[in-house]
Amino acid sequence: MYEFLQYQIRDVMTVDPIAISPKAKLREAEELFETHDFNGVPVVDNQRCLLGMLTKFDLLNAFRFDAHTLVPHYDDIMEQTVETVMTREPVIVAPQLPLSRLLQKLVEIRAKSLPVVEEGHRLVGIISRQDVLKALRRATTKRELPAHEDSAP
Amino acid sequence: MTTLLYTHAACQEHDTGFGHPECAARLTAILNALGTVPFAALEWRDPPEATREQLTRIHSQSHVERVLGRIPKQKHYAIDGDTVVSPRSGEAALRAAGAVCAAVDAVLRQEADNAFCAIRPPGHHAEPAQAMGFCLFNNAAIGAAHARAVYDLERVAVIDFDVHHGNGTQAAFEQDHGYLYVSTHQAYIYPGTGRREERGVGNIVNVPLLAESGSADLRHAWHQDIEPALRRFQPKLILISAGFDAHYLDPLAELNFNEDDYEWLTREILAVAADCCEGRVVSVLEGGYNLSALAASVAVHVKALMEAPRAAQRALVKEILERRKAKRNENDS
Repeated sequence: MYEFLQYQIRDVMTVDPIAISPKAKLREAEELFETHDFNGVPVVDNQRCLLGMLTKFDLLNAFRFDAHTLVPHYDDIMEQTVETVMTREPVIVAPQLPLSRLLQKLVEIRAKSLPVVEEGHRLVGIISRQDVLKALRRATTKRELPAHEDSAP
Repeated sequence: MTTLLYTHAACQEHDTGFGHPECAARLTAILNALGTVPFAALEWRDPPEATREQLTRIHSQSHVERVLGRIPKQKHYAIDGDTVVSPRSGEAALRAAGAVCAAVDAVLRQEADNAFCAIRPPGHHAEPAQAMGFCLFNNAAIGAAHARAVYDLERVAVIDFDVHHGNGTQAAFEQDHGYLYVSTHQAYIYPGTGRREERGVGNIVNVPLLAESGSADLRHAWHQDIEPALRRFQPKLILISAGFDAHYLDPLAELNFNEDDYEWLTREILAVAADCCEGRVVSVLEGGYNLSALAASVAVHVKALMEAPRAAQRALVKEILERRKAKRNENDS
């Protein structure tokens, strides 16, 4: 478990993750969720600066009852742009944050994944519960000693 | 007059086992930083081992024997899940406590204005009869007791900015008006003590901070609670339990202090010391587990100690001002 304390987010995050434009339609976002099994996708501008996160909850949120229609219209809603429903000012983390501290944060806010940004808000990665679970296992698994390269005959 | 640095090779030989965060590399990182040119004026000293008399001012005789009796001839022995000892741990612990006593001696005999003890194992979790939380003997408390016993100091303060609460120091002091213990720490983490309501005989000031607290919260705590308590108490000596694990990159907790905060806090403490006790400060290393953050934070802390207004200089300035004033009065009359 001590080794886990040495890990930082950048060691285990998904680097340069798939992201979506704020002008994309919700239909495209839904397809992303469908094909990649993401829980959320970062929303970025042309410079890959983070503008928000679009999660499955945000998508569902677009279908909640409101004052405008009696029944939500699927096709109309799917034509809305991502920026209209995304989570603005999402919780962000820095690549050098110790993984032990990220773990506290994920549990605390019950997030499934968080965008990793550098100074200037540039998106550099995404970190998920699964990444942390994997890192926990990796940090605590006794690895076999690698065979010495120079031990070959 | 100068700043002293107490450290000993045995402290680097206290082996806590593979990968343990409280590791010898912590001291290596610190000493590498303090070995650079800006720290050339530091006077390095080897500490003696603490005597039984010094240890038992805080700890029970049986605690001392139990700890030293558990040091294995080889490999490791785990006192608890966190606290591991190995063959050289006994000497390391004795040198660590001895360093603080020697630093107290040097500062009270005016050989130096202040001192930093780069030692391990750390001490502030060690209770009078219980080793725990990486700690065997309570170095800072032992130094404080030494100052009171040998130099008849009426009041000694310990300020503890390690991210964990110093349950051991609190336990040692909470019945004794001669000590003030002031601590900032993250609430609800190890060791679980340090709630605001824990006030001893009015001589314990706990300022728990919520996770993700940072620079502004530290300043608020200082102005609201810590500085007023220190000035009310008027200590004759200030010891610092200097843990650097409230740093934003530390893996063992979730506060967000940075190097500037540690420098600022050190200067604030020195200003109080200048007013109350001729600048007498002995700082004692506790935690801090990100090696580069630890080295950088200790560096600004020690730099601030070195730049403390020198007691001799202050006395001189005071004398000159008084002479001028006397002269002016003479001329006026």
